[in-house]
Amino acid sequence: MRVLLRILAPLLGLALAAAGVLFVIEVVAAWVRPDATTGLVVPWPDWRATLESLTWADTPVPAIAITVAVVGLLLVLIGIAARRSDVHFDAPSPEIAVTTAPRVLARLVGTRVRATDDVASATVTASARKVSVSAQSWNDSTPELRSTVTSRVDDLLAELPLRRRPRVSVSLQERKGPR
Amino acid sequence: MTAPPSLTKDAAPTRDGAQAKTAPAPAKLRRRSRSAVARSAGGDRWTIVIVGLVLLAAGVLVALLSYGIFGSARAGRPLLDPMIVDTLRSQPLVSRIVAIVVGVVLALLGLIWASNSVRPERRPDLLIDGGPDTSIVVSSAAAADAVATQAGGLPGVGRARARLVGEESAPALRVTLWLADDADVRDVLRRLDSDVLTTARESLGLSALPVAVRLELDRSQPTARVA
Repeated sequence: MRVLLRILAPLLGLALAAAGVLFVIEVVAAWVRPDATTGLVVPWPDWRATLESLTWADTPVPAIAITVAVVGLLLVLIGIAARRSDVHFDAPSPEIAVTTAPRVLARLVGTRVRATDDVASATVTASARKVSVSAQSWNDSTPELRSTVTSRVDDLLAELPLRRRPRVSVSLQERKGPR
Repeated sequence: MTAPPSLTKDAAPTRDGAQAKTAPAPAKLRRRSRSAVARSAGGDRWTIVIVGLVLLAAGVLVALLSYGIFGSARAGRPLLDPMIVDTLRSQPLVSRIVAIVVGVVLALLGLIWASNSVRPERRPDLLIDGGPDTSIVVSSAAAADAVATQAGGLPGVGRARARLVGEESAPALRVTLWLADDADVRDVLRRLDSDVLTTARESLGLSALPVAVRLELDRSQPTARVA
């Protein structure tokens, strides 16, 4: 979302600036050429005739209004979702801030889980608040495998100086077929 | 291209330099170090949310008006109401001046927004007061390269990158460390603070240097699948 924000922000700024410049050009042009029947850059007399003939209840107006509202809602959502989702660590001194990306935490957890005996594969999603592990076990694995995986993840999180320890959830599925 | 200077305690300039007068409060340092984590997108986020809210409110109000929520008589009036046109025509000079001012303000706001969005991040040089008649400037790249070189030599760190960010009067350091898979994060951070950053502060004569550390994992070495 931050990439989208970085792309959208200058484009919207330039669009706003272009609209302002065109507006000024047309107002000044209409001022100095009172007898002109066409706009200098944009055909605003035609737009004006259309706007004078359309009412608020006419067909395209509600659809355009709803489209504008949806675009506005999307922009609000992009602005809200573009916040940083860093995982924070405890720093050795107050003038140091230590962060990492959730994918780094997920990779650390995934490496630890995949090293566990009887785990065939694992998928990890992580955030500052929660770590979810979805592992596949071999069909001859022990019944305690879930608690083993959970304790290994807990051990890893205890080794890391995390400012806030995320909750751990582990789901285990049995892989069919021979090892 | 000159090699980055090494940061050693012997190279420390005078401690009564301009930037070594008083250390800022811990809360202020913490805030500066947090804001150095990455280039701020707060301005863009707020602006885009405000533009979005304006569009959302306008779209909803026009849709309600179109569907007759505010009365069928209002919904039946033209978009460019003759009443408004007559009002503008009765004061042509004022209307034109207001329109021009609105256009100029829109253009300026758009240009300011766009230029702020694409402007490169500042990399401040460090100005060190070497005495009454001497002023020493350490370039941003030299100071950052020296820190990165030392941080890259810490046990458990594969490579490191550093960059000075912020204002010249309040610089901060952004350090990215690529750690080995078996690195002890606690130990790396402790060594970074005691061996690298403390030395850097003393060498540069800074009473405080907020630091944002970004941890990444170094690319893992592929292991042989068949022994």
